[in-house]
Amino acid sequence: MSVPPGSIIVSDWHRFPDSREFFSRILHNKKRRKFGLLEAPMMPPHMNVDIVRYKVFISGKTGVGKSALAARLAGLDFPKMHYETTGIETTVVFWPVRLKESGRVLFFRFELWDCGESAIRRFDHMLPSCKEQVDAILFLFSFTDRGSFDDLSNQITRITESSDRVVKLVVGTKFDLFMHTDVTESDVTHFQEVWGLPIFRVGGDVSAGLGEIAPLLNALAENLWHQDCMAASSVSISTPAALRETDSEIIV
Amino acid sequence: MLQAETLQLLCLTSTSGVPLFSRGSAKQLPFSIIGSLNGVHMFGAGHGAQLMSCETDRGSRVVWGVFQESLMLIAVSCGGGPAISELQLSRLLENVWNCMVLVLGQDELANMRNVERLKRELRSCYRLIDLLLERVSDEQGFMGDLTQCADCLLLSNSGLLQEALDSFTQAAESEFGCLLVHGRVAQATEKWWSRLSSQEVVVLSVLVHSLSGASSCDYPVFLPQGSPTVAIRLLSFQLLPGVHVCVLCGPKPSLYKAENELIGRFWSTFVENLRSCLEQAKHSTLPPSVSLRWDIQALLLINRESRRAVTVCPRVRSGAPSEATPLLSSGRRLELLRLFYTFAMTRYFNPQEASVSSALTTSEDFSQGFTHVPVQCYLVTDECKCYGLQSSQHQLFLLMDLSVPTFALRTVATQTLSAITAATGF
Repeated sequence: MSVPPGSIIVSDWHRFPDSREFFSRILHNKKRRKFGLLEAPMMPPHMNVDIVRYKVFISGKTGVGKSALAARLAGLDFPKMHYETTGIETTVVFWPVRLKESGRVLFFRFELWDCGESAIRRFDHMLPSCKEQVDAILFLFSFTDRGSFDDLSNQITRITESSDRVVKLVVGTKFDLFMHTDVTESDVTHFQEVWGLPIFRVGGDVSAGLGEIAPLLNALAENLWHQDCMAASSVSISTPAALRETDSEIIV
Repeated sequence: MLQAETLQLLCLTSTSGVPLFSRGSAKQLPFSIIGSLNGVHMFGAGHGAQLMSCETDRGSRVVWGVFQESLMLIAVSCGGGPAISELQLSRLLENVWNCMVLVLGQDELANMRNVERLKRELRSCYRLIDLLLERVSDEQGFMGDLTQCADCLLLSNSGLLQEALDSFTQAAESEFGCLLVHGRVAQATEKWWSRLSSQEVVVLSVLVHSLSGASSCDYPVFLPQGSPTVAIRLLSFQLLPGVHVCVLCGPKPSLYKAENELIGRFWSTFVENLRSCLEQAKHSTLPPSVSLRWDIQALLLINRESRRAVTVCPRVRSGAPSEATPLLSSGRRLELLRLFYTFAMTRYFNPQEASVSSALTTSEDFSQGFTHVPVQCYLVTDECKCYGLQSSQHQLFLLMDLSVPTFALRTVATQTLSAITAATGF
């Protein structure tokens, strides 16, 4: 179901010297730059880099680290303490990607949607709102919470319908706490075989380095791009970039 | 009895005294002390006396509050830390209660069915409660939690942004819209001021400020006065880092729709204006057209009609003579300003308004003897001189340098007030 890593985009592109110019646009003083909704990374006009926008929903049980993952992917400061998210919060992440075949560079703009479990339970409009026009769903479990792993299949079937055209990825959080791990390597392998979904591991080390989050963001970009290409070729109207191009964006 | 850490908040069920949570200082009070604090309040209630607060000779303080006859909140502050007045602690309890209603709704809190479930539900209020506890000795100049007036930022060119906000709010099918810069209200629709209570405006500002990392959000909120049992939606959008626009609305529009269809349409042409707001906010909460005397150390100006407030705590003194004494730290000046506000309000200006319930605070009996309402007051300490004045529309609290002659305080205060109001229309 998912695309093998590196088949559509250059994987580990952030390590290549030719990516520096692009990654520097999402950095500021060696930290990730923060973008308001009216902003986007600015490239010199002659480079003409398109921005493609996607909505990504982060799903998972209370306390698995949905908000922390969103903060990690956006390079924001971590909350010192765990607080429940009592509504929907979205976080915008820009990520430059080079397409393998054409060599073209795109800025992916992921909008991560995060909603606390208790809010979903208490208010009926939360889940439909998160699923409206969604392009991808990240299913989270925590390596320290067996229950959250066992609940995965349940969650996947509950939240998605087979007709949905969404990219699905699974993310295991708190991987650094291997001393307390409740989920074994063979559990993970077994799950991958049964569901055909890749599992990513995140946790620990908040060095704000890109290397830590690159595999997940690249996989997200690759699968979303692939999904759009498939959709575009089946309807055969135009390239996905043209469909999604944003012209209302204001440049920083 | 109490550990060195400064401030702690306890929540118990009022009838049975079951502890529900405790926030604040790292060392939690022992269960036996929590039990005694509850017991002594209950003892009073049993004898027809309402225990509101008490104070030790070493500067520790305890304030009790019972809300909706279901929950008791107790604030415990210990001596040694920054001075926290009784007024501030009772306002803290009110604000905490309002935040709990904001998140959970009044029904959940007033009609307790299951204590364990309520304990779990209350966890979702911790983020706001912790923020309120931090605000008690805040160093960024937020005073709304004490004054129950919205902390504002006064802009120089506000007309355009007001129009943008009005039309954006209307397009979001709402009448309640507000633009915040770093947690301060820069602009709001007319209904935001006239129909929301000042306490609601304060807790909503705190809520939006607590979500400052998110690009946008859709939060169900209950308004403590306006809609305590039916949730409405708070949509908030971070236009630029530090600039949030929010609306209160019904089931429509969806967050996705509002963000994708309305934000660009109504705000993209104002990016430069918003950037200049951010630039101004870096320097002062007043527009650059207002220049204060160098010997003003800090000030708090309140508009009593609209319940708005602006706090100024200059970082540098411009134009000070070389022999001038250096400025106190901004944390200390804000602490003094809070204390002077409390002093002036509880003793002179409006003891009824300042005391939390209908009963007056204990130590201020003599003010009841006044047959008139004082309109000005001053205080000279060894750190600064303070002057307070009130008119039907404004209240001004001013901290000044010791070098200002005491007889000139009144002139400086009235001049400062008219300089700010003339330039900003506040």
